[in-house]
Amino acid sequence: MSLRRSMFFHLLRRGLLGRGNRPLIAFIALTVAATMITAMLNLYYGLESKLNRDFRAYGANVTVAAQEGSVLPPEALDKAQQILPPGSLVVPFAFAIAHAGDGSAVVVAGTNFSRLQKLDKWWLVSKWPTESDEGIVGGKAEPHLASSNGSFDLNFSGRTLHLIEATTVKTGGEEENRIYISLPEFETWTGVRPSLLEISVPGSREQVNAAIRQLQTAFPSLQVRPVRQLLEAQGAVITRMRSVMLASTLLITLTVALCVFSTLTSSVLERRRDFAVMKAIGSSQTTVNGLFAAEALVIALVAALCGYLLGSGLAAWISEANFHTAVAPRIAVLPLVIVCSVALALLAALLPLAQLQRIEPAGILKGE
Amino acid sequence: MLGVAVATAMIAVGVDVGDKINRELRSYGANIVVYPEEAALDVRIGDEQIKPASGGAHLKESDLPKIKGIFWGHNILAFTPILETRAQMNGRAIPVVGTYFAKQLHFGTESFITGAEKLYTWWKVDGSWPKDDSREILLGSRLADQIGKRAGDEIQLAGSSARITGIVSAGGQEDNEIIAPLSFAQQVAGEPNAVDKVYVSALTKPEDAFARRDPARMNAVDHDRWYCSPYANSIAFQLQEAFPGSRAEQIRQAAQNEGAVLSHISGMMLLIAVASLIAAALAVSAAMATTILERRREVGLMKSLGATATTIASLFVTEASLLAVVAGLIGFALGSVIAQRIGHAIFHSGVEITPVLLPIVIFLALLVTIGGSAAAIRRALRLDPVVVLRGDA
Repeated sequence: MSLRRSMFFHLLRRGLLGRGNRPLIAFIALTVAATMITAMLNLYYGLESKLNRDFRAYGANVTVAAQEGSVLPPEALDKAQQILPPGSLVVPFAFAIAHAGDGSAVVVAGTNFSRLQKLDKWWLVSKWPTESDEGIVGGKAEPHLASSNGSFDLNFSGRTLHLIEATTVKTGGEEENRIYISLPEFETWTGVRPSLLEISVPGSREQVNAAIRQLQTAFPSLQVRPVRQLLEAQGAVITRMRSVMLASTLLITLTVALCVFSTLTSSVLERRRDFAVMKAIGSSQTTVNGLFAAEALVIALVAALCGYLLGSGLAAWISEANFHTAVAPRIAVLPLVIVCSVALALLAALLPLAQLQRIEPAGILKGE
Repeated sequence: MLGVAVATAMIAVGVDVGDKINRELRSYGANIVVYPEEAALDVRIGDEQIKPASGGAHLKESDLPKIKGIFWGHNILAFTPILETRAQMNGRAIPVVGTYFAKQLHFGTESFITGAEKLYTWWKVDGSWPKDDSREILLGSRLADQIGKRAGDEIQLAGSSARITGIVSAGGQEDNEIIAPLSFAQQVAGEPNAVDKVYVSALTKPEDAFARRDPARMNAVDHDRWYCSPYANSIAFQLQEAFPGSRAEQIRQAAQNEGAVLSHISGMMLLIAVASLIAAALAVSAAMATTILERRREVGLMKSLGATATTIASLFVTEASLLAVVAGLIGFALGSVIAQRIGHAIFHSGVEITPVLLPIVIFLALLVTIGGSAAAIRRALRLDPVVVLRGDA
């Protein structure tokens, strides 16, 4: 028994190491397959979070507004920040109607510039205000200001505020009709407190909806609303991309598997003489199958590990090149890759053997 | 062959997926707005509009079909005019917004349907959409709660009765408004042929450094190139030309961020296509190596009969090339079918397969096959005929 076992391992070692580059070819082919499977699976799982992050650049996806004509309770900002998942951005807005230099009414908004800057990265401004008397002027509001040397006055119920124009903003939206100033300045000038929170919640549509429900329970008297246009677009694009990625993953995996399968099969068929000799000198069916299977198993396991490392690297590189952040390799992918590789290798080894089984060893040895 | 098929499918899908996602995104709101140059400041806080935006200046409704006539008219997927006014109802001034729902318009010989149904796909309408040029309206959901009306009810609006066909829930200011056909709103406002602004959804190319340059300061050649590229800015410029006395601007929130999403998506598909191509090359290389190893007796025989390395190599290369071309053709056909299938399954519309792809695919197949078999051929050439023919190798 121990002799047989040592013979088995001897043959296995010879089969793996002593046959020139044929096991190497099988190994390369399997590694390629494992690499592609790993890379595609990693990308498939990583894509969603990357795209979700892209959609965060659009700005707020939830708004919390006070009832008409009233303002938010003072603790609303901190409370919202507390109950929202980490990474959420809450930007307060207070509004008042002031009179500009030419007498026309203009909406003035008080906000937190350092937060707004993170929320609305797409605003085309040359410089964000840093001083308390600086403001951002909407492109359409600018002609009404009668500003001189970049400074202008605004009038709110008899009180005048002198401001310096830091930059104009062009958005194509209603922001262009407004003037934005810093919130403390706004509150001392008008005495009006914030009435609106614009919130950016990170994550998928489901996570955002969960955050909305939490906000609704926390603020029963306020209007918590999703920015549906954005959320629906995000949901639709991600669903589509998920399907595209799934289809490509299946397609690529299938092709690479087929290529590998044909390579492996032919390399097993090539060794029909070994097989015939073993049968001729009396080894059992199980032993021969076991030997070939063990060989395939060893190659597949090593290839799966190499492929996993290479594939994770490939996925990280693709994501780095494209999204400028790498996808983290998922350990959950590894068992799947190992199972696929082993199944592929075993199938490719044992199917041709089953074929050979039906032929007489003598026939093979004679060279038929 | 399978490798080529997959490469074709991946490239075709990869090239097209950007366009498909672009269309998908474009059904979620406009990316360009056109308004009169003389428009007064819009004084609006959240849902509360303090006074109507229209300070007398309007666009003409009769100019609207011209939108389809601009240089990039085919890239205009949908547009919808907006006329904001107010109507007295139960002693309250209710905002009324006039628009197209699914209006049939004609420009030249072309006829097309456009309106809110196409542009505002995220609106949830409980009931049915109203017909254009009728006395049917949509009622905003919060307004409906306030006045206690439901779909199918009649309301009195500005001295005439209107039928509510549906309750709209949009999550925005629309929820407090009455959405009416444009002609009805014009009648309420007493401004025939008037439009406040037009929202346009156009397929655009993501903005790059060239798009951000000021067209007024470009030379003639650059200006032509800018004008003929479907940037949001250049389409806005052409819209401005189509409407006398108007300003058109890209809505930066949509235009800017879509660019990022789209370039990321198509960039990733491209990289995946490249990676799958390399994988195919390696797989082909392994397959070629085994076939050539199988034929080493043949090589030995040829060598012993006096064939030079060049002859043998060219034989193998020719064989591989023939194989590659045939496989390329079949793979292209197969790949096109696969790409179509994917397109239909995921986007409900076929993927356009450009013929330009064929030579590229054949070339790639040649490259992959020859490159993949080079190592194996070189090894075959190094074989010693004596050893091979004796059967020891």
